[in-house]
Amino acid sequence: MIQALFDGILVGSILSLGAIGLTLVMHILKFANFSHAELLSIGAYCALTFDTVLAAIAPPMATLFSPFSMSAALALAMLASAAFTGGTAIIVDQLVFRRLRNKAGALTMVFASFGVALIIRNVIGLIFGLNTQRYSDEISFATMVSADPLLLIKPDQVAILVMALMAMVALHLLLTRTTLGFALRAVAENPTLAQVNGIPLESVVRLTWIIGGGLAAIAGVLYGIDNQLSPVMGRDLVLSLFAAAIVGGLGSVSGAMFGGFIVGLASSFAILLLPAGYKPAIPFLVILVTLYIRPNGLFGETR
Amino acid sequence: MSMKTTTLWGALALGVCLPAAPALAQDCTVKIGAVLPTTVDWGRPIAATAQFAVDLFNEAGGVKGCKVEMSLRDSQVDPKIGVDAAKALVDLEKVPVLLGAVSSGVSMPILTSVTVPSKVMQMSCCSSSTAFTGVAEEGKTDGLWFRTFATTRNQSAVAALLTQERGYKKVAIFYKNDDWGQDIGKLVQADLEKLGIEVTSSTAITDGQSSYRSEVTEALKTQPDAIYMALYPSEGTLVTREWISLGGTQNMVVANALKSDEYRDNVGLKYLGNLVGHDSAQPRTASAEDFVALYKAKFNAEPNGPGLPNSFDAAMIALLAMQASAESTGPAIAASVGRVTDPAGEAIFPNKEGLEKAIKLLDEGKNISYQGGTGPVTFDKNGDVSAPAVAWAFDESGTREVKYFTLDEVNAFIATLEK
Amino acid sequence: MIGIISYLTFFLTITAVLAIAVLGLNLQWGNTGIFNGGVVAFFGTGAYVMVILAGPERAGEFGGFGLAWPLAMIGGALGAGILAFIVGLATTRLRHDYLAIATFGIAVAVEVFARNATFWTGGAKGIRGFERPLEAFISNPFVYGLFYLTIVLAVILLVYLALERLVRSPFGRLLRAIREDETAARSLGKYPARVRLQAFVLGAIIMGLAGGLYATFYAFISPQDLAPILTFQIWAMLIVGGAGNNRGAIAGTFVVWGCWVASGWALSSFAPADVQIYAGTLQYILIGLLIVGMLLAKPRGLLPEKLAVSTHSFEPVTPAKATQAS
Repeated sequence: MIQALFDGILVGSILSLGAIGLTLVMHILKFANFSHAELLSIGAYCALTFDTVLAAIAPPMATLFSPFSMSAALALAMLASAAFTGGTAIIVDQLVFRRLRNKAGALTMVFASFGVALIIRNVIGLIFGLNTQRYSDEISFATMVSADPLLLIKPDQVAILVMALMAMVALHLLLTRTTLGFALRAVAENPTLAQVNGIPLESVVRLTWIIGGGLAAIAGVLYGIDNQLSPVMGRDLVLSLFAAAIVGGLGSVSGAMFGGFIVGLASSFAILLLPAGYKPAIPFLVILVTLYIRPNGLFGETR
Repeated sequence: MSMKTTTLWGALALGVCLPAAPALAQDCTVKIGAVLPTTVDWGRPIAATAQFAVDLFNEAGGVKGCKVEMSLRDSQVDPKIGVDAAKALVDLEKVPVLLGAVSSGVSMPILTSVTVPSKVMQMSCCSSSTAFTGVAEEGKTDGLWFRTFATTRNQSAVAALLTQERGYKKVAIFYKNDDWGQDIGKLVQADLEKLGIEVTSSTAITDGQSSYRSEVTEALKTQPDAIYMALYPSEGTLVTREWISLGGTQNMVVANALKSDEYRDNVGLKYLGNLVGHDSAQPRTASAEDFVALYKAKFNAEPNGPGLPNSFDAAMIALLAMQASAESTGPAIAASVGRVTDPAGEAIFPNKEGLEKAIKLLDEGKNISYQGGTGPVTFDKNGDVSAPAVAWAFDESGTREVKYFTLDEVNAFIATLEK
Repeated sequence: MIGIISYLTFFLTITAVLAIAVLGLNLQWGNTGIFNGGVVAFFGTGAYVMVILAGPERAGEFGGFGLAWPLAMIGGALGAGILAFIVGLATTRLRHDYLAIATFGIAVAVEVFARNATFWTGGAKGIRGFERPLEAFISNPFVYGLFYLTIVLAVILLVYLALERLVRSPFGRLLRAIREDETAARSLGKYPARVRLQAFVLGAIIMGLAGGLYATFYAFISPQDLAPILTFQIWAMLIVGGAGNNRGAIAGTFVVWGCWVASGWALSSFAPADVQIYAGTLQYILIGLLIVGMLLAKPRGLLPEKLAVSTHSFEPVTPAKATQAS
């Protein structure tokens, strides 16, 4: 029980990071971006590249901080990757979504995002190969915190949770303490009024992509540390991310955070009730139940 | 050893008799079709290995002096795409033989709606579902279906035997949630229980999940003294790493799909000391070693990965059968498979010299016994291979054989299970 | 020559089967504006129910009713309709993007059920051994191919004519009215939620019909047929062809499926052997580019909707506008 609770929170924290970006994009740009999960893959693979390069330039940086399977190189790589992924997200927007915004409906964009996801996923497969990879091949052993009820915790898990929470706090400060954050929230609340007040829409859109892409990259790296990297990791995570965003209510950052934990916990507890084979359907059940009770999500505004 | 020496001498002798390299009559080509999932991680090497077999055969002179061209199409593990590709190869490129597919869910509709109606021989490297035996027994394959992958029945018995030999009493099972995994998971559970070994849990591992921690934790709670895994390297790595890091036992029995360098390197050899795997037959005969050597020379890696020797043999047997067949039609080639895999025939190893000899013998009307990556292959009337079995373990250089079970031993053991 | 005809027969059959599903989606999306992200759920339900009703007896598993094929087809279509009704009750009142994701999830759930519920669906190994209608009487596979193509073409013609009538009927106008402006339709005393549900169920029935034809064609069905990629393919066909136009839907099916198949063929014939191994990956990239490019160049499709009352597919959506619309 308590093990499932802890594991669910950990998976949830990663989902939360991914879902925050997704919910912001869905709210400000008005479309369900099926390619958002691919930003996690880009981030994860980008960090892998930086990590390898850094480790080659400055080998001491590649030393693992025992008992964690992380190194200074990886930490730096993660930050670089967050910036790179944010930039990639803007480029994709400029190439595809911005053009469609100007001439087609929101649902055309949803569909285009399917196409973009397909392209990104396969380009990654082409560059990095289809095999799975890891940042560190060391296995980080769990410590038994309690034998009955069984609770096993890996040092990495704690580190991941801390990093995810730090990213969330940073985002919170950005949104509540900076002018940019105010502008973004203003646009999210009421785009017309925001523009009347001189907030440039395009730069807010760019900011949205940077935040969304950056958080997605961090989520991707944390996921990679906890599990492994594979070109199809985005495909595997997309439904969970959407579930988290929807449960929280679109546009609500705290909602997405909360939604991520709910989906993580639901998947983790599901196995206690259902045969393991049914686990992939859990995010969907969470969506359905939420929408049935609250059609706009737990924290979404009623419209 | 003596066998190998004979072959060597034979090959040398042939090298003297024959013109140095039978020059290809470049103006003629023979086509062979292949439908394999090149877009998935474990599919790509399978296709590369089939292509490698074709290249080797061409070096040895090609089919009836003609260069063999393999038309490879991606199945994308999508039955629609796979069947369409097969149909196009059969109808438009007129291939008499089709290699593939890997997943039973793709091979089956290809068999029932393309190859059998069009009278084309189909040879799959890796489809292991027992459903094919059923189709063949109903007489619906017209003898056109073959596979070089031992049926799940054979494998599960060996898995149970290995578990028993090692004295494990409580076993947790993880199986891939696809047709192969569900099949073998169920059979292994039944076999273990017949041997009086307790199966503490049997967990489906669906690929493409973001984490398998909860599955692993649940199995861990049942406190087994060993685990059995029928998984592919990708999710197998995740499950094993998770299992070990949470303090699970390192007593592992695994299916041949995990016999892969990727898996060994990704989990780490130091944790796999107590792992034993079963495989249909990576036999200790010289032939298997030849295949390994050839593969190493070509790909600079050991042929470790699901279905690699099987894919190699599927292509080789198909090509040899094409050579042996008087006509270039599916049924004629399928009928010639027996000439290539005749246990009474001369042993043939899949290197250049061996193949040159095989071509010569077949042209003389003699039968041969092809001994490839999976050993001396023979097919039964349903196109299934009955193969000896081998237990293997990982070591620094790749894998090593732990124990060899002859075909008789395997069959005798299955008989005791089914009593 | 006979090889080419044989392949064409095959290609046309599968294209026509997919086109039926695209027509179903066109009713939902093109005419009513319902974003169904789980086409494969209804397609698959139709296929499975049909096979279970008319299929062979399976040891220890559900089925083997031996129903006549046409009845089983109707059963499959109804099965898809019932699923759509249950799902629709909960989801058709949702906003578009929520609906897309909820239906996307349903497709996953149906696939998971098919993969795991061995007693009902045969599990991952699927259901084999289906006897195709009149196969015993037409032994020549080539002739049988032509015969089955005729059946499929007859079904698509029926569906097409029925949909054309429906679109021109008062009900069809009502559907478009709701698509364009739900509030206005409501002010005229219509019940958008109920009408949307009707269109959703009807579209799903058509998809179920396509699924039944598909399973009959291959005489086999397994969870691998229910991969989410099918939903994407069907959507691509509709968008490329032109949403709202039935003929566009059919044309789009030809173009997209043709490209999908042709790109595989082209890569396998012209790409050098070393590149062959990457052909599948390249093919996906090409297809992704084709779709994104098409959306950028011709967002309304090859054959755009003729009754150009729609404003929704080419007017720019500024965030402000979209907020009001939703």
